[in-house]
Amino acid sequence: MTSDTTLFEQYARLFGPGHLAQLQSLGHDIIEARREGAWVFDSEGRQYLDCLGGEGSYNLGRHQPQVAGELCRQLEETDQGNFPMISVEKARLAQRLAAFAGNGLECSIFGVMRGETLDCACKVARGVTGRSRLLAFEGGWYGETGFAMSLSRRRDANLYGTMIPDTGTIPVNDIEAARAAIDNTCAAVIVELMQAEHHCRAADPAYLKELADLCREAGALLIVDETQTGFGRCGRKLAFETAGIAPDMLLLGEALGGGMFPIAVTMLTQRVNAFLNEHPMIHLSTFGGSDLGCTVAIKALELYEELKPWEQAAHSGTMLKEELEQLVSRTPLLSVSGEGLLLSLEFADEDRAREVCRAARQHGILATVGRVRRNCVVLRPSLLITAGDVEFLLTGLSSALQDIA
Amino acid sequence: MEHAPTAPAPMSPEEKRRLEATFMRHINRGQVKYLKAGHLDVIETDRRGTGFTDAASGRAMYDCFSSAGSFNVGRHNEYITNALANAARRMDMGSPQLISPVKIAFAQKLVDLAPGDMNRILFASGGGDAVECAIKLALGATGKQRIISTVKAYHGHTGFALSANGKEHYRGYCEPLMPGFDFVPFGDLEAMQQAAADDTAAIIIEPVQGEAGIFTGSPEYLKGLRELCDQRGMLLIFDEIQTGFGRTGRMFACEHSGVVPDIMTLAKSIGGGLYPNAAVLYRDIPLLTDFVDAHADFHTSFGGSDPGCATSLAVLEYITEHRLWENAETKGAQLKTALEELMARNPRIIKEVRGIGLMVGIEYIHEFMGPMMADALAKHGIFAAYSGNAPQVMRFMIPITVNEEELKDIIGRIEAAVQDMKTLLPLALLAARVPFLLRLLNSEKVQTFLFGLFRSVEDFISRIFGTGRKTS
Repeated sequence: MTSDTTLFEQYARLFGPGHLAQLQSLGHDIIEARREGAWVFDSEGRQYLDCLGGEGSYNLGRHQPQVAGELCRQLEETDQGNFPMISVEKARLAQRLAAFAGNGLECSIFGVMRGETLDCACKVARGVTGRSRLLAFEGGWYGETGFAMSLSRRRDANLYGTMIPDTGTIPVNDIEAARAAIDNTCAAVIVELMQAEHHCRAADPAYLKELADLCREAGALLIVDETQTGFGRCGRKLAFETAGIAPDMLLLGEALGGGMFPIAVTMLTQRVNAFLNEHPMIHLSTFGGSDLGCTVAIKALELYEELKPWEQAAHSGTMLKEELEQLVSRTPLLSVSGEGLLLSLEFADEDRAREVCRAARQHGILATVGRVRRNCVVLRPSLLITAGDVEFLLTGLSSALQDIA
Repeated sequence: MEHAPTAPAPMSPEEKRRLEATFMRHINRGQVKYLKAGHLDVIETDRRGTGFTDAASGRAMYDCFSSAGSFNVGRHNEYITNALANAARRMDMGSPQLISPVKIAFAQKLVDLAPGDMNRILFASGGGDAVECAIKLALGATGKQRIISTVKAYHGHTGFALSANGKEHYRGYCEPLMPGFDFVPFGDLEAMQQAAADDTAAIIIEPVQGEAGIFTGSPEYLKGLRELCDQRGMLLIFDEIQTGFGRTGRMFACEHSGVVPDIMTLAKSIGGGLYPNAAVLYRDIPLLTDFVDAHADFHTSFGGSDPGCATSLAVLEYITEHRLWENAETKGAQLKTALEELMARNPRIIKEVRGIGLMVGIEYIHEFMGPMMADALAKHGIFAAYSGNAPQVMRFMIPITVNEEELKDIIGRIEAAVQDMKTLLPLALLAARVPFLLRLLNSEKVQTFLFGLFRSVEDFISRIFGTGRKTS
């Protein structure tokens, strides 16, 4: 235990006591050692069911052996590569992604993390349309980079000077508000089908369809951010596929790297990419499109296609949600929201939500609070979670909620 | 070069055409045209040490671009590769929220190497993300609204980082960006003094401007910036993404001047050419630590992953154990001297040689010479990129592991390339006398078209006569 204590002290010295306090307030003051399937083990060998999901990276579970093996194997063959170059790795991944995403989303711009994919999309939208106004669903959390932050709801948004101009939001599921806001000055509308950080608020399919029509009529691009909902998280391969909409751009996040490599992608239709063909290399990323990362992502894509983890996620998610709903009213839990294995539990306030996270940790579950609706606890376990794991999660959460009742 | 002279089975012309078609359809058509025009359409294989082999031609090439300074420890460095493989066998990326021994070990090692009282660290996902973090930290900590950057500065492509970029080329289509940025010419202390306002939170600057075309900030200039910041209560941010980790002949470029910035961004070579990682270092002063402690989640990141930190830790160990910055300093001086001699012999081609350590640039007399020279260099087995930001400047950023023999070879090849260019030049120089034609020649689009056309003719001839393009 001494060594752990030393590490925490060192952490506080290097990153600041605020960081350590943050860990403690969420019950996250463990040393992350072994990882396997849906589980994380601390340095003492205690195991925890991981519902943090690496912020959306671990759809295939922790330390997926085939993806990890592919990284080790490819390390013999390739490296990051010179970023502007033509490479077999980049071309192969882009080709596979086009088949995976379908819907005419044939082109890829690689990045490292979700914020970068969103900023890239915003820039391209401005370039393509020659318009500057960007609109996103209100109450979202799109990442830490400039455009992403400007469109997100953050309690610290006023601390960093003036955000990027001509960015705004529209309320979710309010078609009249959308009609009033989307006009021919609008470059793009950015939507998330389910706002993970906002108590898993879902956009209504009928509304989405109308919204897509409004965009088309106004000549604004429709950007669908699936960095949280994609790769099976919501019980479908991609959340938008049942909504009957055709995005001009699609953002896919860290789950693309199978939890072994940070890689994300902005996907575009040929019509949108025509602008970048005319103006190549105005958006660059040294680490995005790493050749090594591309090979890892190709392996992860193969696994997604082979395992179809969305089927299992739909099944486990429905079961889990139904059972969790039983706890509403009997415990401090106020409501359950979400779909597939992206679920959110609502409590009275942020303190209560943090208390739940700490209590859950005592019962072998790691979870965190929503970034926008901070009175909520978000659950993002491996999509390949077993029936036994689901049982463990339910029993643990139920006990945790009773502990704090 | 370290790697075996026998090339792996080269990619057949048909395979390469298929690859290019896939790349054009699913990534970018314009990029392929641009690269082909400058003979930069090489397919990197057998990436080892100071270079790689072009799979299509079988030609061994020195990597003088190093992905804009990402390969300080060399391509596929065994020590780093093993460290990453060992990590990947045991660990995944980890949880961004949680800590692990390797994250702490790397953070500690980096802080130990950092100058002055830069005892605090934050992880970031990549260079641009580190700049985003630094900008937020400066604005958040001071509560002020403005930041001074420099003309031609390059800090990244995401929103706030792009807002700090001083070149229209990257910003143009994305405006309006974050307001509150003032741009002053690099190296002009007086301009900086005049731009400093009560509402200025920070100065952000590369101690050596890289992408802009290799401009080294003098120690006096950088010291002047430090003093100005102290006087006016502004923070000094050094973007050492390209200059860090030995590139300029010191572990960090700021050591040349002895200036300790308040915030420093690091990326590129920290990833060992293998795995993305980045960091922001900042001084242990209440202005900064109070802000971070009160807003622990002001910049969450996917950087600082376990494999990333294992890789970066190995990079730091390798660089310090081999004192690679010393090699960068001596080899850099040799290269610079050789290039200066070349300039003396070729005043109609080379206007200036600039740089520090192994961050060296040649400026040509005319912009159009950039792509021409890239072409000539490629034919001689030197991969060096001119940037869209400054096409008249060729950057040489060889892995800083380069040895004596390799460096001599590289210099010989650069000389041969200049010799080749001389034969093409009279025609272009004649054209350059006509102002309209010069403008045309200097336009990137015309270059891409023109050199692309030359390239197609060349490829056609080599196909007909089956000569291949194997030279050197």
